[in-house]
Amino acid sequence: MASQDEEFTMLFQEFYPSLCRFLECLLGGRVELAQDLAQESFLQLHRTAWETLPHEQARFWLYRVARNFAINEFRKSNARYRLFDRVMEVMTPRSRNPEEEYETAERKQLVLSMLRALPEDQRVALLLREQEQLSYRDISQVLNVSESKVKVDIFRARAALRERWTKKAKSYEARA
Amino acid sequence: MNCDCTEKISSLIDGELPPQEARELERHLLTCSECQEAKSDFLNLRAQIADFPVAFKPVAQREALARILGKQKSPARTVWRWAFNPAVAALASLLIIGVVIGLLVYPKLKSSPAANPEIAGVNSNRNNQTPKSGSTGGSGQVSAPKPTAPKKSPTPASPEKNKVVPNKKRPPLAFEPQPDNIALNTAEPPGDTERVRSADAETMTAIHFQKSELLLRSFRNVRPGKPGAAPELEYEKKLAQKLIYQNMMLRREADASGDAQVSSLLESLEPILLDIANLPANARAADVKTIKDRVERKNIVALLQVNSTALARALD
Repeated sequence: MASQDEEFTMLFQEFYPSLCRFLECLLGGRVELAQDLAQESFLQLHRTAWETLPHEQARFWLYRVARNFAINEFRKSNARYRLFDRVMEVMTPRSRNPEEEYETAERKQLVLSMLRALPEDQRVALLLREQEQLSYRDISQVLNVSESKVKVDIFRARAALRERWTKKAKSYEARA
Repeated sequence: MNCDCTEKISSLIDGELPPQEARELERHLLTCSECQEAKSDFLNLRAQIADFPVAFKPVAQREALARILGKQKSPARTVWRWAFNPAVAALASLLIIGVVIGLLVYPKLKSSPAANPEIAGVNSNRNNQTPKSGSTGGSGQVSAPKPTAPKKSPTPASPEKNKVVPNKKRPPLAFEPQPDNIALNTAEPPGDTERVRSADAETMTAIHFQKSELLLRSFRNVRPGKPGAAPELEYEKKLAQKLIYQNMMLRREADASGDAQVSSLLESLEPILLDIANLPANARAADVKTIKDRVERKNIVALLQVNSTALARALD
C-alpha cells in the first residue's frame, strides 16, 4: 500500500502542474477551476483506477478524465465562474516585478485568446501535442479517436492559429 | 498559398511523417520559401503554447496530494459549488439582510427599557450575586433575598428557582452597607432596580457613571496587602465584569447617537474596568497600584462624577 501511495505521489508530482496547465488552457484561463479539476481527476484515479490500471497508462487516463471534466464544465453555465475568476484575478498577489508580470500576463492572454477560438477537439489535440508532447497515437488513446483524426485536428488547429496570428500581425503593422 | 505541403509540414514538425516522406519534404523546404515560412510559423506557435507558464504553487499541490491520499473530497471545489449555488446564494442574501435589519433595529430596541429586560435586569442579577460577596464581609448583612421569592413561587423551597427569575418584579433588596465597605455601597443605590428598568439610554449612562465612579473610588480604597482585603477585591472584580458589559452597550449607543463626549469617557473607562475584572485571584499589590495610577492619571473619577451629575441634571 505504501509503495502504491509512493508511486501515486511521484505521478502526482510529475503531472499535476502540467495537468493544471492543460486544463487552464482548455478552460480559457480559469486557473482555480483548472486546479480543482486537476485535483478531481487525480482523486478519481486514486479512488477508482489506481489499483487496476497499468501505471504507464495512468497519464493518458488522467488527461482523458480531465478533459471530460472540462467538457462537463463547458456544458454548465460559463457565467457561474466568471465573477469568481475576476475576483481572484484582482486578489491574486502580483509578482515583485510588474513589468515581468505584465509581459507574462500579456503572453498568457494572447495564447488563451487564440486557443479559445479553436473548436474543442482541435484545442485538446493541439495542447496534448504541444504542451504534453504526446504522439498522435497517445493522443488518439486519450481522446479515443483515430490517429488520422488527431493528425487532421492538429493541422487544422495550427492552420487556424497561423491565420489569426498573421492577421493580427498585419493589423499591428498597419497601426504602426 | 500555392504549395499544399502545409499539412505534411505539420506532421513533419511532430516527427510523425514516415522517414522517406520526411526526407523529400526537407528537400522541398530548401527551395520553397512559402513552406519555410509555414514551418517557421508552426514552430513559433508551438513555442508560444509550450511556454505557457505553469501556475505552480507547491503548498497548494502538497495540500491537494494530502487530500487525495487521505481520500477526502476536494473541499475547495465543493465550497465553490456551494458558494455559487443559487439556493445558497439566496439564503446567504437573506441572512445578510437579516443581520443588517438586526443591526439597525437592535439599538432602538436596546434603548427601549421594556424591550430589553436583560439590561433592566442587570441590577436584579447583581442582587442575586451580592450575598455571596456580602457574606464574606460578615453575617447578618443580607436580609431580603430569602423571604422575597417564596411568596410568589409555587415551589418556594427550591433555591434554583430563585436564581432563574431575575427579571421578575421583586422588592428592592435592602442591603445593610457597612460603613467601611464602599464596594457594597456601590452595588445598589436603594430603589435603583425600578429606576433602571424604566430608564432610557441617558439615564442608564448616568447610573452607569455613578456606579463606575463608586467602583473606582472603592477600588482606590482597596488594600491588597492587608489580610482580609481579597474578598473586597473579588467583589470589585465581579462588579467590574458586569459594568464592562453595560459599558460596551452604552458606548455603542453613544457612538450611534453621535455623543462623542460620553463615548470617549466610556471608551477610556473600558480598559480600566477590563483590567480590574481580569485581576488574578490573589492580585499583587503592584498590579493593583498600576491600575490605581492609571485611574489617577486619567482623572477618570472626577470626569465620571461631572458627567453623571450633568446627565442627572439634564434628565431632571
